[in-house]
Amino acid sequence: MTLPEEAYAVALASVPSIGPSTLRDLLADDAPSAAWSRTVGASGSVRHVARIWERHTELGIGVLMAGHPSWPARLLDDPGAPAIVFCLGDPRALDRAPTVALVGTRSPTRYGIGVAAQLGADLAAAGVSVVSGLALGIDGAAHEGACGAGAPPIGVVAGGLDDPYPRRHTRLWERVAEHGVVVSESPAGVRTEKWRFPVRNRLLAALSDVVVVVESRHHGGSRHTVDAAMARGIAVGAVPGSIRSATSEGTNALLADGAFPVCCAGDILVALSLAGAPAPAPSPSVHGARPQRPAPVTGEDRRVYDALSPDPTSLDELARLTGLDLPSLCGALERLARAGQAVDTGGWWQRE
Amino acid sequence: MLAAIASATLRGTMGSPVSVEVHVSTGLPGFTIVGLPDAAVREARDRVRAAFLSSGLSWPMRRITCNLAPSGMRKGGAGLDLPIAVGLLVATGEVDAASTQGLAFCGELGLNGSLRHVPGMIALADATAPRGLVVPLCDAREAALVRGGDVHGAANLGDLARVLRGQAPWPEPPPPSRAPSSAHEPDLADVRGQAVGRRALEVAAAGRHHLLMIGPPGSGKTMLAERLAGLLPPLTPDEALTVTRIHSAAGCSLPDGTLFHRPPFRAPHHQASVVSLVGGGSWSLRPGEVSLATSGVLFLDELGEFPVAALEALRQPLEEGVIRVSRAGGTVTFPAAFLLVAAMNPCPCGEGVYEGACTCSAVARARYRRRISAPLLDRFDLVVPLSRPDPDELLSGVPGESSTAVAVRVAAARARAAARPVPERGPDLAPDADALLGSKLRSGALSARGLHKVSQVARTVADLAGEDAVSFAQVAEALSLRAGRAAVVS
Repeated sequence: MTLPEEAYAVALASVPSIGPSTLRDLLADDAPSAAWSRTVGASGSVRHVARIWERHTELGIGVLMAGHPSWPARLLDDPGAPAIVFCLGDPRALDRAPTVALVGTRSPTRYGIGVAAQLGADLAAAGVSVVSGLALGIDGAAHEGACGAGAPPIGVVAGGLDDPYPRRHTRLWERVAEHGVVVSESPAGVRTEKWRFPVRNRLLAALSDVVVVVESRHHGGSRHTVDAAMARGIAVGAVPGSIRSATSEGTNALLADGAFPVCCAGDILVALSLAGAPAPAPSPSVHGARPQRPAPVTGEDRRVYDALSPDPTSLDELARLTGLDLPSLCGALERLARAGQAVDTGGWWQRE
Repeated sequence: MLAAIASATLRGTMGSPVSVEVHVSTGLPGFTIVGLPDAAVREARDRVRAAFLSSGLSWPMRRITCNLAPSGMRKGGAGLDLPIAVGLLVATGEVDAASTQGLAFCGELGLNGSLRHVPGMIALADATAPRGLVVPLCDAREAALVRGGDVHGAANLGDLARVLRGQAPWPEPPPPSRAPSSAHEPDLADVRGQAVGRRALEVAAAGRHHLLMIGPPGSGKTMLAERLAGLLPPLTPDEALTVTRIHSAAGCSLPDGTLFHRPPFRAPHHQASVVSLVGGGSWSLRPGEVSLATSGVLFLDELGEFPVAALEALRQPLEEGVIRVSRAGGTVTFPAAFLLVAAMNPCPCGEGVYEGACTCSAVARARYRRRISAPLLDRFDLVVPLSRPDPDELLSGVPGESSTAVAVRVAAARARAAARPVPERGPDLAPDADALLGSKLRSGALSARGLHKVSQVARTVADLAGEDAVSFAQVAEALSLRAGRAAVVS
């Protein structure tokens, strides 16, 4: 039985004590089969290698190796590039279009989710691939927006490609693989361990032309991605947020440190030097250029509408501001909601 | 010589008649008690002997056998001390058997001969009717609540012996129960702001809707909950007797030693065990917190911290208004028709209601939410999100509406609901209100059960407003009074 060299590389990557950097050192000088027999020796049977290889081919997991023609151009002269990358979907998507990473906190506000989805959709429509980590929160929202149409989305994940993580994003994971590609440094069967996330963030930055942080706490995980991007001289942008929101502390600090402000997809296109490219339709919610719905005119509804703000306000606060009793207030809010002028977020109301 | 004295023992909230037979004969001096006594009853031997000697009565140096009939039923508690002692007095000829005819005895003896309080006096008084009842002086008033005049109190064994011998009259009957003094309940006027919280309390009280409050620490959840009992109408005479009987059986002290006339408020700590909540124990079967809260309010603060088993045990009482406690020795059914008020934080850090302020991980939040099962959450008609009150409102010093004013509206709404014939299908909704509910159902924002609950709450809101048909605004309010579900349902 003859196995391709990739099979030995996959088997080496599957050895628990061999991490990405050890693997890179091992494969720097030797061919994978030679490295395999040198490190694992006679105890590593060919049958074991074949079993791992079969599992990957059965699952449809592609293998990219440094030095091969299919190796993504973006990783060619990356200082910390991995030796092997696994992928689900079309790996050519990695080099097809300019790429922008949209990253952020896993517990975002409605604002953050909205902005991430809008930026994702606008960038994809403008022919820019959205790179993200498929995590809960901002990452997921960005890809939800980007999966619609346009440039192929790129998901960069930490664990093995056979086990979607987080589970809640299984469907999104499949859609990204279908329209674009999901890549990982971990072979199938590897659990998503904690140390793999910062490592993943390095690959995520390496695959991106620009990194944009949508919403991030002071010590959020996005910091790793930003550090990796700055080490590579990749431009970093941040979406400004409320100074009162803990989830915008990180992004506001980035802006203070010199990240370029991102208020719409156009700002990112400028950073990509694509400003002359076919510009996407101005994103309404991000630009504030939304067609204004006529404000309600009747007395109570108008009073309630005026008391609402773009930030969620509690019913107590609204009752205090308007001086209305609860049935009248709730009735007015429901009417505003029906007219698309107010929205309820779990008992808190905001202007739509 | 043989004597038979009537008494009773407590099981659950009911008394069972017991006949205490005492036999004194020649033989080796000794004292045995038979008839399935528990440890407390067996220890009566030492208490009775010491009480005899302290009271100047002679202790028979003969063989004493005491049987508690019916022999097949277990008997517990120290309340059988007194009938055993009286039985001995009769059996030894110290007291004429005729003087105990038509009398039953319940009471615990101290070593100095004094008579002490026994729990469950109301149930015991019921079980010993129609005989006259002799009880410790301190319990005479409680027993008289259900028995009236034929209850005698006695301070100690020596006095009782003199009365039974005809050497002294019965001690003065205890003074009749005073008119209930105005109970001290916390007033809603102390709460500043919190329009939604206040309204939720009012609706909960008027429609008997269970209420869950979700808010950060310091938003006044506990303060509000403590004021709910004050909004409920006073107990009816039947309810009062049931509530008093349960408290008496649980050994709780009664307000002013008389009947409860205000709904009870019970707030067990979140480390409460299942047994302490639903009732139980080996076989005396003490009522639990859910029964002590019957006709009143059960407040579970920090709902998410209660043991899951304890919360799930609440489902039967919430559904049926009773709790059945089964043990090897039998099953007891306790009343448990309470109004449930619970409070919890939106997430472990408590800041989850404020967007962007929560520092919990998504996993921690999901785990916290899972502690409240969907079936339990479904029992809450009202789930309100609370936020910290506005500082200006807090410091303004303007008192809120008082409990008395709200209670008047609650009573009127209840009367209105009671007078209305049960509608065949749902409450009478205005067309636009009906359309609002329909659109919520179609958009998936409401389940079928949710729709039913919202229309029930809207009905209560309309009753509070004194209106026959439910309006659009009232349905909108009912919807917002369960908006907090979004915080606990992911």
